[in-house]
Amino acid sequence: MNWISALPELVLACAGMAILVFGVLAPKNAFRLASMFTIAAFLITAMLVMGGTTSLGYSGLFSSDAFSQFVKLLILAAATLGVIVSLDYSEHENMQRFEFPVLILLSTVGMMLMASAANLMSLYLGVELMSLSIYVLAAFARDNLRSAEAGLKYFVLGALASGLLLYGISLVYGFSGSMNFADLSAELTSASQASTGVTIGVVFIVAGLAFKVSAVPFHMWTPDVYEGAPTPVTAFMGTAPKVAAMALLVRLLSGPFAHLLAQWQQLIVLVAIASMLLGSLAAIGQKNIKRLMAYSSIGHMGYALVGLAAGTPLGVKGVLIYLVTYVFMNVGTFACILAMRRRGRAVEGIADLAGLAKTDLGMALWLAIFMFSMAGIPPFSGFWGKLFIFQAAVTQGMWVLAVIGVLTSVIGAYYYIRIIKVMFFDDAAEAFDARPASLSFVAVAGGLFTTGFFLFAAPVEAAALAAAKVIFG
Amino acid sequence: MLYALAVFAPLVGSLIALLFGRQIGDRAAQTVTIAGMVLASICGVSSFVDLIYSGVPAGVISLGTWVEAGSFHVEWALRYDALSAVMVAMVTCVATLIHIYSAGYMAHDNTIWKFFSYLSLFTFAMLMLVTADNLLQLFFGWEGVGLASYLLIGYYYDRPSAGAAAMKAFIVNRVGDLGFALGIALLFMVFGTISFDGIFAAVSQHQNDSYHLFGTDFRALEVIGVLLFIGAMGKSAQLGLHVWLPDAMEGPTPVSALIHAATMVTAGVFLMARMSPLMEYAPYALGFVCFMGASTALFAATIGCVQNDIKRVIAYSTCSQLGYMFIAAGVGAYQASVFHLLTHAFFKALLFLSAGSVIHAMSEEQDIRKMGGIWKKIPLTYTVMFIGSLALGGVYPFAGYYSKDAILEAAYAAHTGVGAYGFWCGLIAAGLTAFYSWRLLILTFHGAPRADQHTMDHVHESPWVMTVPLILLAVGAVLAGVMFHEQLLGEHWEHFWGESIKLNPANKVLEHMEHVPGWVRLAPSVIGLAGIALAYIIYMGMPALPARVAAAFGPLYRFLLNKWYFDELYNAIIVRPLFCLARGLWQVGDATIIDGVPNSVASLTGASSGQVVKLQTGSIANYAFAMLIGVVALVSIFLIFLR
Amino acid sequence: MIATLAFYLFAGILLVSAAMVVSARNPVHAVLFLILSFFNAAALFLLAGAEFLAMILVIVYVGAVAVLFLFVVMMLDINFTQLREGFQRYLPVGATIGVVLLAELVIVFGGWRIAPGSDAHRFAPIDVAVENTRQIGNILYTDYILLFQASGLILLVAMIGAIVLTLRDRKTSLHQVVSKQVARMPADTLVMVDVIRGAGVPADHYLRPKVAPVAAPEAAHDSHGHGGHH
Repeated sequence: MNWISALPELVLACAGMAILVFGVLAPKNAFRLASMFTIAAFLITAMLVMGGTTSLGYSGLFSSDAFSQFVKLLILAAATLGVIVSLDYSEHENMQRFEFPVLILLSTVGMMLMASAANLMSLYLGVELMSLSIYVLAAFARDNLRSAEAGLKYFVLGALASGLLLYGISLVYGFSGSMNFADLSAELTSASQASTGVTIGVVFIVAGLAFKVSAVPFHMWTPDVYEGAPTPVTAFMGTAPKVAAMALLVRLLSGPFAHLLAQWQQLIVLVAIASMLLGSLAAIGQKNIKRLMAYSSIGHMGYALVGLAAGTPLGVKGVLIYLVTYVFMNVGTFACILAMRRRGRAVEGIADLAGLAKTDLGMALWLAIFMFSMAGIPPFSGFWGKLFIFQAAVTQGMWVLAVIGVLTSVIGAYYYIRIIKVMFFDDAAEAFDARPASLSFVAVAGGLFTTGFFLFAAPVEAAALAAAKVIFG
Repeated sequence: MLYALAVFAPLVGSLIALLFGRQIGDRAAQTVTIAGMVLASICGVSSFVDLIYSGVPAGVISLGTWVEAGSFHVEWALRYDALSAVMVAMVTCVATLIHIYSAGYMAHDNTIWKFFSYLSLFTFAMLMLVTADNLLQLFFGWEGVGLASYLLIGYYYDRPSAGAAAMKAFIVNRVGDLGFALGIALLFMVFGTISFDGIFAAVSQHQNDSYHLFGTDFRALEVIGVLLFIGAMGKSAQLGLHVWLPDAMEGPTPVSALIHAATMVTAGVFLMARMSPLMEYAPYALGFVCFMGASTALFAATIGCVQNDIKRVIAYSTCSQLGYMFIAAGVGAYQASVFHLLTHAFFKALLFLSAGSVIHAMSEEQDIRKMGGIWKKIPLTYTVMFIGSLALGGVYPFAGYYSKDAILEAAYAAHTGVGAYGFWCGLIAAGLTAFYSWRLLILTFHGAPRADQHTMDHVHESPWVMTVPLILLAVGAVLAGVMFHEQLLGEHWEHFWGESIKLNPANKVLEHMEHVPGWVRLAPSVIGLAGIALAYIIYMGMPALPARVAAAFGPLYRFLLNKWYFDELYNAIIVRPLFCLARGLWQVGDATIIDGVPNSVASLTGASSGQVVKLQTGSIANYAFAMLIGVVALVSIFLIFLR
Repeated sequence: MIATLAFYLFAGILLVSAAMVVSARNPVHAVLFLILSFFNAAALFLLAGAEFLAMILVIVYVGAVAVLFLFVVMMLDINFTQLREGFQRYLPVGATIGVVLLAELVIVFGGWRIAPGSDAHRFAPIDVAVENTRQIGNILYTDYILLFQASGLILLVAMIGAIVLTLRDRKTSLHQVVSKQVARMPADTLVMVDVIRGAGVPADHYLRPKVAPVAAPEAAHDSHGHGGHH
């Protein structure tokens, strides 16, 4: 019995239930303690992940390998930072209920299951576990209409996406006779082996997962939900689930369906182009910074899909590095957004950032670094992510994709840099409240990572390449 | 180690003054930079002495890798050989004296720390240039010098003329730099390296390489030689690219001294000497060098005769003297060229600084027509300026005598057409030089006072910080020629120069110099003395004569006074057309096309952004339909196109 | 033969009733049709020999889920005319999408071909010697233990979600703490008040509730919204 291959997940799930019990039994509000326990659980799990071995467990349902380890560590990092940024906000907004960290934890278990999925069924259950927790989190500020609306919207559309995913899975199962990745891979050794049904199934599965990474045209929920959900939830939603879903797409398309590259490549290219275009265009007119981040994440996922479309280990390496850089700059940006609080009230308009450099130079600098990084300006990490992605696309001769990517980056740079302009050159608005230490910590951590990435890019690159090679066998 | 200290001490001083000048105050900044320079000059001189007299071997001090790109490898390194060492010693000494002098001259300035920082930066760039071990590092120093000169010429940035002069210097130098950069590129193409050792070792292999240009095959070495010389022309203000030098007078006087004596203008001459192993194999390029040098020498001397601004006269004399140096380089007598560079550095710094002292005494008056009769009031300045003029005029036994004679002898001894041209131009220019030097001297110091009474009352000798450097430089102007003549040019010149100047075995100029006819040796002195005498007679004896001569030869006088109409010519054929072109490009190219296209693209982007956002209605049903349409579209695309 | 006939009968009714669920005007009817389709699906399971699944379907979906739906539909006051409007508005687009999708699926299923050797991949080959429930139990707790537990976690999340989003322990709601109430003494809550004679109060003194320092009423929950609307 090789149940040990899922040891990190088991430990994390048990820790989650223990924290739940603790929260219920605790005499007074246990939010902060529960959050601390959750962070501790994440750290322990991360250590277990690092110590994990390569194995295929649970009758081939669950695979633990370099790829899943890489992705899981990233997910755990994102989730940890997500919990940290929520601490202060929850207390301010009267959402300090211990279920909050527990839900983040359970959703993380789902993501880890996704990262390790070796069977369409474990894939589906992982996705559902993750999503369901996030639906609840999105509606967590239940007395806020917008939060409730966000949760409902996300839930309904998510159900539709799940339907698509399930339908795709059933098509694949029906036409190939297996849900196991290894069997599928052996079954579909060439495009001629795959019937139209399988590939249509793949299209449906891609659609279902594209919803989770909010790729165009399955992105419609993103701006509304990002804006409506409580900001720490948005921060969490914008990082870890994206990583998990993207990793799942990579594992699925480059693994069992690798031989159908010719079939799915063009679809991914189309989705990537549409995402990059929409992400950069629609963000221009936004006045709400959370909405802007929603479009920004759509665009970023478009870039990551470019690496996937390349269909090579180099491309997958690019995707992984892109995700790493994306997580840190995104969570850092959200830490700054969360710190936007005037006289106890959270504000989220871009105009509220006016003249920030004069009132809080530190925060303005960090936010400027994140914006530069998102715009892909060297030497910040975002540049390297884009570089690897485009490199992979160009190596495969996908010039059009790379050129569109670069052009949309230029458009994207406009709205990122506009924020910097607002912060540094506009007349100063009223100063924000003092930043809590937790947010400063996350902003500084993300900022240091983003700024110094080029210094330690080599080991990350090596790990990403090793992970990518696992997928391609 | 000493050598590296000599190069970097000015940089350290400059950085401290620049970064902390405002905090530590003018006095401290001044002290720091001067201390750096004194240290540098001590180190520079001792490493020079070590190399030449103590037998320390020449070599290269490596500081690390700079560029590593494929086969293109560039190092930061300091070259330690006779040519570099002598330049370092000269530059540091002269620059130190100028620093000290500036402490007095600039005492009333508002941003002294800035001035001293720039001065030291200027010196550092020049040191970087002369110690470079490869062309890229040399180019670094070259551009550093250009930058520092820009900053210093435009130091009085509130004067429009200073700003214009700084820009002019910078832009004219760019023209030359373009040639230099192309030369470096071509060198790399031919030799595959830009380090001096690599190039010099491979010269003989590549001497017959050809380079295809304008439909003709040229010898690559000739093309390289000409391109490098174009660079040198820009920095050393040779005919055609000389226009910036007189205008550079807009900077404070110590800056002029620095530009004219120690740094900047000598860079071109240095480049020729440094590249001598290569230039030796490019006879036509050398001929061109000699021709341009001779023309400049004569041309600048004629202008010098009629100018009325004290600094301008000296500026044209620099131009002319640089011409001499290129005559020498052009006939293959690089030793003579560097020798003249050295002696010239001393007496030209001396002349400029004493001119500064005069200007100081005359309450900032620069026009020699408004001076006169002050020699008794400022005897020290008068004496040192007299010495400087003697040296410049080439009177025995002052420094200029040895070096100028050597150049003219070399030109004669070359026995070539351009050599003869150089000789005769140089000879005439020598007479003119002596003439205008004395004209300057007499108009400035002798005769009836022409300044107003108020100014005359204030005439006073400069403080000791200014006079001590003058005296030291005067000593140099007297002794530099005697001391180094035999070592640099004598039979054992190879002992001094070592490997730093390598001649073509066929080049026997130095030997032939020993055997020139007696009249060739005597001619420069005779002509020089004649020039002095003429000036004395005209300006002391018949002060009214010059005006009558000027009136009689009106057109010629105006032609010379207006500097051969070079500025007007350039204005008409280059500057104005360029302005027109630039305006056209700005209004049509930039405002309409370059701005227009992105602006319309931007507004298009904005508009499409608006359209895209309209899709976001907020209705779940719409969103769900969008997803379904997406799926159906993807499936359809797949079924129709990809099956 | 009979099995085949039964299959088509149940399958047909299943399809028709499923269509009715979507198109029925009255939501109560829709739920009833849903129950009907569940029954037919259960029948299909029975035909396939999966009696355990069939019973579970009836018990869980008909017995619990569908009835719950019925309650919800009947208890909530839903404006059906408004729903109709939406339906009609989206009908053209929806119909187009549906038709296109259907056509595409027909094309797909036209090429139906079970992959060779796919039988070998089937997880649960029918073994008549072991009864249905045991078979399911066998794989559910061995091969599929991971999925089983993951499903459990999903249900846990659903439960947490339901509680988090709906349960409110308001400060205003009154809970009775019996022990406290029993242990209560009159002196804890009542105080003797002196009154001025002849001032309209019948007795010298009387008991009245202690005037506890009235806690300032909870500040209105105006800080709830995170101020997204500005």
